[in-house]
Amino acid sequence: MTGNKTKKRIKRIIFLIVLLLVALIYIYPVYLMYMNSFKPFGEIVKDAIALPSHAELENYTYVINKIDYFRLFGNNVLITVTGIAGIVVFSSAAAYMLDRRRSKYTKLAHFLIITPMLIPFQTIMITLLKAMNVIHLSGSRLGLGVQYWGFGIPMATFIFYNFMKTIPRELDESAKIDGASTTRTFISVIFPLLKSVTVTVIVLDVMWIWNDFLLPLLMVNSSNKTKTLVLAAYTFIGQMNTKWHYAMTAMVLAVTPSIIIFVLLQKYIVEGVVAGAVKG
Amino acid sequence: MKSKRKRKEALETVIYTLPAIVLVTMMMYIPFVMSGYYSLTKWNGIAKDAEFIGLENFRTIFLESSEFKDALLFTGKYTILFMVFSNVFALALAVCLTKKLKIANVLRGVFFIPYIMSMTIVGFIWKFIFTQGFAKLYDITGWGVWNLSWLGDPKIAFFSVVMVGIWQSLGFYIVLYIAGLQALPTDVLEAAVVDGASNRQRFFKVTLPLLGPSITTCVFMSLTNGLKVFDIILALTKGGPGASTYSVTLQIYKEAFQNNHYGLGSAESIIYFLVVLVVTQFVLKLFSSREVEL
Repeated sequence: MTGNKTKKRIKRIIFLIVLLLVALIYIYPVYLMYMNSFKPFGEIVKDAIALPSHAELENYTYVINKIDYFRLFGNNVLITVTGIAGIVVFSSAAAYMLDRRRSKYTKLAHFLIITPMLIPFQTIMITLLKAMNVIHLSGSRLGLGVQYWGFGIPMATFIFYNFMKTIPRELDESAKIDGASTTRTFISVIFPLLKSVTVTVIVLDVMWIWNDFLLPLLMVNSSNKTKTLVLAAYTFIGQMNTKWHYAMTAMVLAVTPSIIIFVLLQKYIVEGVVAGAVKG
Repeated sequence: MKSKRKRKEALETVIYTLPAIVLVTMMMYIPFVMSGYYSLTKWNGIAKDAEFIGLENFRTIFLESSEFKDALLFTGKYTILFMVFSNVFALALAVCLTKKLKIANVLRGVFFIPYIMSMTIVGFIWKFIFTQGFAKLYDITGWGVWNLSWLGDPKIAFFSVVMVGIWQSLGFYIVLYIAGLQALPTDVLEAAVVDGASNRQRFFKVTLPLLGPSITTCVFMSLTNGLKVFDIILALTKGGPGASTYSVTLQIYKEAFQNNHYGLGSAESIIYFLVVLVVTQFVLKLFSSREVEL
């Protein structure tokens, strides 16, 4: 009996060690990126795995100045916030009517709003640039933010709509009896109840817009003033082809904000991603 | 009186839904229709007028050049490997991570980190690992595996790209499977234990069939993500060596923005749309029809 117990325990410890080892190997590339960003060039080429002899902060001052890091960071915030705000407002408002006022019109509207989920971005990217030039939404950060409205609305409306169905209509009716207008009802009764699903939409869309590459590449790559973080890192690393010390630092600077946010909000992010995938 | 209220309600409905419709039309429908039109033209993107040439572009794609077909083949192979391995590894790790462990939460976070990083950066990190990192590992261990030409040999580069793609997104599928596993009815699993089912039997005969909805979601997501692969390849291999790792998306990008063949690129993008549509709908039907209801 005791032998069996010890055997089980040993098995458990081995399992734990193996799992830990797998996780360490898995995250090792990220660790290497951080570590090498503190090395001078010579040390990286000589030995990419060894610890740095000292923390070479010149890498950071050089890259931060060269790519104008804080401006890029601001650009990312501006684009992401603009995008998210529009997506949340327009999608939740549309979903509200699509569910509450069912008619031939809402059926058609529903179809029109949701169907573009089937169109891959690469199918429209070529002509999108031409279309956005015409209405002057290309080449500007706000314009890019506005474009995300169009791309984000189908999925977000879909998620909001499915959730809206679970909110009892009695709430609308009692608000109406109390004399609240439709807009009033939506803003102060319905929208607060959408909190959990709004978090889902925000998590999914922040991850998408913050890290997006191709749309910013097409729209805001022509000027250093409008570039996003990932875009600038991409161009910079391309130029620094073999100057690994600067390239590593640029990568670290590009991903660290996401990692910090993730560590702080892991629970919400994971829940949001799961909910989004299951509902979407 | 009543009709006035009705009219007001109808107006409200339109006001609430119109912004969404207009935005979606501007960003998606209009470019989509334009792509359809330009696929029938010869257009360099600069000239004011595109020359209408009918189905000539489609003829070029299918009969004259093999570039697009190669890219299609690559994308197909990539997607299949990506789907299979992402799902198998993710499910295995999810099973391990739902065991009662103190560090399970931390480990979940570890596997999820690559997923929150930009795919472009992920491509660059691995470019560094494949060149500098592996070179040093070869110096230390002398194992031939580190000395392979991971990005320089077309056959190996294919697997490198697949591996990096899986590495980046595995955490996403892991958390979906964990959510699925945690939602399983415990009484059924306990009943299986009482009935004397072994661990393996329990997993394959009870857990796996009940996990149907999660499997459908993960397979579908990995399918669409596989078909979309772009950023990672651009950063890691730029489609090379030769043209061995050109995905369809990268091919469309090159055709339009580097070769300035906007018409041809549009035609490729329309074919891509149709392929994605047919494949995803087919797989979705196939998997949802096999789900087990309890």
